Order: sequence, then C-alpha cells, then structure tokens
Amino acid sequence: MARTVSEHAEQQGEGPVGAELSLERLKELLYKLKLCRYFDERMEALYRQGRLPGAIYSGRGQEGTHCGVAFALRPDDSLFCTHRDLSAQLTKGLELNRVMAQFWGRIDGYTRGRDGNSHIGDWRGARTFTVISHLPIAYPVACGAALAYMRRGEPRVAMAICGDGATSNGRWHEALNMSAIHDLPVVWVVNNNQWAYSTPNWLEISVPTIAERAAAYGIPGVRVDGANVLEVYSAAREAVERAGAGGGPTLIESVSLRWRGHAGHDPAKYVPREMLDEHVTNKDPVKRFEDLLRDRGVVDHVEIDALNQRIATEFEAGYEFAQHSPFPVPEEVTKGLFTDDGYWAGEPSREGGTEA
Amino acid sequence: MSQVVEAGAAGHGAEPRGKRTESGEATYLIAIAEALWEEMERDERVFLLGEDIGAYGGAFKVTEGFIERFGPERVMDTPIAEETIVGTAMGAAMEGFRPVAEFQYADFMTSGFDEIVTALARYHYRTGVPLPVVLRGPSGGGVRASSFHSINPEPWFAHAPGLKVICPAFPGDAKGLLKSAIRDDNPCVFLEHKWIYRRVKELLPEDPDFLVPIGAADVKREGTDVSIVTYGAMVHRALEAAGELADRGVSAEVVDLRTIQPLDTATVLRSVEKTSRALVLSESHRFLGVGAEVAAMIAEAGFEHLDAPVTRLAPPNVPVPFSPTLEDAFLPQVADIVGAVDRLGSW
Repeated sequence: MARTVSEHAEQQGEGPVGAELSLERLKELLYKLKLCRYFDERMEALYRQGRLPGAIYSGRGQEGTHCGVAFALRPDDSLFCTHRDLSAQLTKGLELNRVMAQFWGRIDGYTRGRDGNSHIGDWRGARTFTVISHLPIAYPVACGAALAYMRRGEPRVAMAICGDGATSNGRWHEALNMSAIHDLPVVWVVNNNQWAYSTPNWLEISVPTIAERAAAYGIPGVRVDGANVLEVYSAAREAVERAGAGGGPTLIESVSLRWRGHAGHDPAKYVPREMLDEHVTNKDPVKRFEDLLRDRGVVDHVEIDALNQRIATEFEAGYEFAQHSPFPVPEEVTKGLFTDDGYWAGEPSREGGTEA
Repeated sequence: MSQVVEAGAAGHGAEPRGKRTESGEATYLIAIAEALWEEMERDERVFLLGEDIGAYGGAFKVTEGFIERFGPERVMDTPIAEETIVGTAMGAAMEGFRPVAEFQYADFMTSGFDEIVTALARYHYRTGVPLPVVLRGPSGGGVRASSFHSINPEPWFAHAPGLKVICPAFPGDAKGLLKSAIRDDNPCVFLEHKWIYRRVKELLPEDPDFLVPIGAADVKREGTDVSIVTYGAMVHRALEAAGELADRGVSAEVVDLRTIQPLDTATVLRSVEKTSRALVLSESHRFLGVGAEVAAMIAEAGFEHLDAPVTRLAPPNVPVPFSPTLEDAFLPQVADIVGAVDRLGSW
C-alpha cells in the first residue's frame, strides 16, 4: 500500500527545520527553489515579449517536487527528466549560462544548437540525460544506467522523473517491472501536477493514487505533498539510500499543480479557477519554504534580499552570455551524427555562424 | 551450400568454433555465434540481453551454451518488453557497457521502435555521448514464416539518422561485421537473414581480430556486362542468376552492399562505370526501399556511364504473404533477375 509521509515533516529530524539538513544546505535549497522560480517567470516574460525563440514548458508550482528530489541526489547519481523538469536539472547542477545559450540555439548550449529549450542535459558534467519529448522514453534508459551501477557494485543510483500523463504509457510499466525484477538502484519519481496537457487525473488513472501502483511491482510506493519540499526531499533521500544500498527501486508520487499551461502557447483555461487559486495561494512550495526558514531564523530579510539580487544578477549574466554566444556554423550541420568524424571530441567552430 | 546444421550454434558450454565442420567451415549462424563469443571473451563490457537467450539459447539457438560460459549477468533474459530492452541497452551503454540486444525476429524491433529511432539513434548528434549498442535480429523471407516473421526493416532504420545498418550475406562477412559493430561506438542494427542461417557455410579466418569494415561493399562476382547491386539473401539469388547468365554469354558483376548505412557509393559507381548497366535488387519493398535510394544515387552520380536506365527489382508494396505461391510471387526469383538483365541488355 502507498503511504503518506507525515504532513509534519517540517517538525521532524535534527536541526532547525528537520530533514537533517545543515544550515548551509537549507540555504542552498532555498537558493535553488528561488532560482528556478525566477528563471521560470523571466523566461516566460521573454517568451511573451517575442524575445525567446522556440517553446517553453513551465514547471512553476512544481519546484517542491523538482528541487526536492534532485537535491537528494549525489554528484555521481544520474537524473533522467522530461521537458517539464528543468528545475530538477538546475538543482542537479546545470550551468545557467549554458542553459540560456541552449534556449537561444547557440554553440555554447549543452546540445551545441542541435536542440532547444528544456530538451537539455549534461551527461558528462551534472550527469543528466538530455531530454526527449516522447514520454516516458527515459524510464527504460534509467534501467540501463542502474543496471550498470549494480553490475559494477557501485553505490550510485539513477533517478527518473515523468509526469502523471506519462504513467499511462506502456514503457512506464515496463520499466518499473524491469527494475523490480532485478532490484535495480532506481528512484522513480512521478510529478503529479494533475494535468496531462488538458487531460485531468480522473481521465488517466483508474486507481486513487499513482503511488499505489507500486504494489503491482512489489516495490515501495510513497505519496508526498509537492508543496512541501522537505517532505519531498526526505522521501527521495530515503529512496536514494535504499536503492544505493541494494534495496531496490522506490516509486515516489509528488502531488502539486501545473500553474501554467502545457507550453507557453496554452492558457490552460480547462483548469478550474478555484483549483489554481488554492495552489497559488496556499501551496506555493517556494513561498512556503522561504517563510519556514524566516520563521525559524535560518535566514533574515537581509539575506533574502541579497539572495534575490544574486539570482537576478546571475540571470542577467546568463542572458548576456547567451546573446553573445555564436550561432552554430551551418557547414557543421552534418557533423557529429556518429563518433567517427570526431566532431564532439573536439571544439566546434565559433566563426561563421549567422543569425537566422 | 545446402548442408543444414540442426543443432544450436555452440553446444552446452562449448565454443561455437567447435560446431564448424571437419574442414573448418562455419554456417552463417555459427559465424555469428563465434563473433559474439569472441567479443565477450575479449571485452568484459560486452553483454547480451534479450528474450529466451539464456537457458533456451535464443529463438534460433545462436546463444546456446553462452549462459553456461558467461553466466546470467552477461547473458540476460528479459521480460517481453522490447522498448525496455532497447532502453536498458542504451542506459548501460551510456554508463560504459557494450550491450548486444537480441530480438527473436527483426519484426519485433517495431515493438521497441520509439526507443530505437527516437532515443538511441538521435542521441549522439544532440549530445556527443557514445552509444555502443548492437541490436541484432533475424530478418527476411523465403522460409514460409509469413507477415510477422519475415520482414526486411532495413529501410526504416536506415532512414533514422544515427544508426548504422548492417545486412551481411556470408558467414565471414557476418562474423567480421558483427565484431566491428560490437567494437563500434555507435548504435548498430545488425540484420541476420534467417534464410541464410543454416544454408550457407564458409571457411573463416582464424584470427580473432578479423574484422570486416562497416560501410564497405564487396564485389562477390566480377563481370563486365551488367552490375547487380544487392545485399542479404538476394546476393545468393543474384549469384545463381549470374551463373545462368554466364552460360548464355552474359557477364554479370554482383555487388554485395553488406552495409546499408553508411552506403558504399564508391564501390557501386566503380562497378557501374565498368559495366554501364545496373540492376538494383533488394528484398526490401520497391516503394521507398533500399533499391530506390541506390538507383537514385546511380542515376545522379553515374549517369554518364549508363547505357540503359537503372532498373529496380524488389517485392511489391504488400505484406509478406504465407502461401508458397504468394511468397514466391512476392520475392524476386532467379528467373526475374535473368529477365531483368535481359531487358537491360536490349538497350
């Protein structure tokens, strides 16, 4: 059976707010949450002003899930995300400059302009899978990475995130089954934001919760409140430790609401107004965590102001970095399909790219 | 050419080489088993995964005896979940392994299609992450196996940029190309024609580092009057037809593509330059099949050498049928090849 992590996780554990996080780690988590929120809001503004090419897939309102689970990973652990989960990748360690360059199709983006927006990843650095739209296409791939860790006797884990919508796809079930058969060190995260594009939970899921589906595979299933980042973190931390110690996979369903549309073009009028108001007013994961740290005296308003300034400065620096990064050279369009030409082993040309 | 080896490739725990004939010849199936065995002995990062490949030894017994030698971790039986077989191979490759996934029939690659063409194929172009994955399975018709156990999926995969597509016709080529594929840092789709499995045998080089390069065609029979450009089981049909044509004074050259992607256009054009006539023969469908691409390439790049229009011979655009009369009508036959060459010669 699925279980619900205590709603009082904030009062549990050691330290001023629980979850056994040091003051530095708590402040770091607050920074990640606020950075991701700021990034999401500013990128949407640039998109609406016509200053950002391509598409945006806002993860606003779900930062508690994204930052909470990714914060539980260690540098060597791998993370397999969807386009909705950029906040998780930023938490895992993607560099803002290169993320921004990716959005503007520049050579310094993680995909060297071969892909855009949040179809991003950094396997060599932050150990994150480069996102693919088809969902949950990365779930089976996470099985393979986890198999590699297990075969080599490493304590590393693979974590994969998808939305509630992707849990209807056969691969979701295939991957959970495979991981359970072999006790693979995987943490399966479902960011249940209650809407698969315009389709609500009640038209996609035949049981009350996604977490209870874990019983079908004989693995633990946990349902947590995505508005409470410490509750999410604690569940993820426990799952990571279990998986890394040979205890097999865990399914974590983290419930929140998708505050914005499926993508930038979608006003999401199908989401009831009162549902949205309830989440924005009472279940904002960023505001709740900031308020908690203020209440417990972990941060004061001076530090918050400085944090806000730091984030704004970093964003502006990233924006400028992206605008000054060259476009890819057209002559290199056929390079790097295979390893044979060595394109990816070397540096790309930075001269001759012209703006479309 | 017709000797049938009914037992599995390897025997329990024995090296596949032990299954060669007394004169040292190996069937195509045993050659493939030898390649897998030798590469697994050479490189501990190589492992196999697939359905019923362990104790059962695989649907065609290619991996019979492997689990006794290499154990269940390196000969990994999987659930019937092709998307997850491909995804697991991909993830393990991202973390430094060199997986070889078996499909019971190439037909079932469609059950893993999205992971193959969307995830595996496109990943390196977008990220630079090497993906040493081999997906192998029996393809092709002529064995009365009907629609779901006979397809030639090579055009689908050759059309997905980022995959190398290999279709050998002879045991030596199969062994050398499979070893090259396993050592390659890119995803390879390795299609083993099941009609050839136990019908064709050859002497193989003893060198365990004998490799056949991916992307190199091979002239299997020299000729001066017409080039028959083909691959897979059709190579054997073409050679038979070339024999009949020789009896009538027509000298046909048979070019075995061996690899569909990358395509060795230089060898094809060199042959056409010599013969001035090209018959492109394939077992994949005529409509948008491998033959369509090869014929277009010859017409564009070799026009000045041609004395006749490039001609295609390939199955019609219907599923592979079961009844012998229908399947024989579907697949190009020796008489069809001879007839097509005759028409080319009339120009």
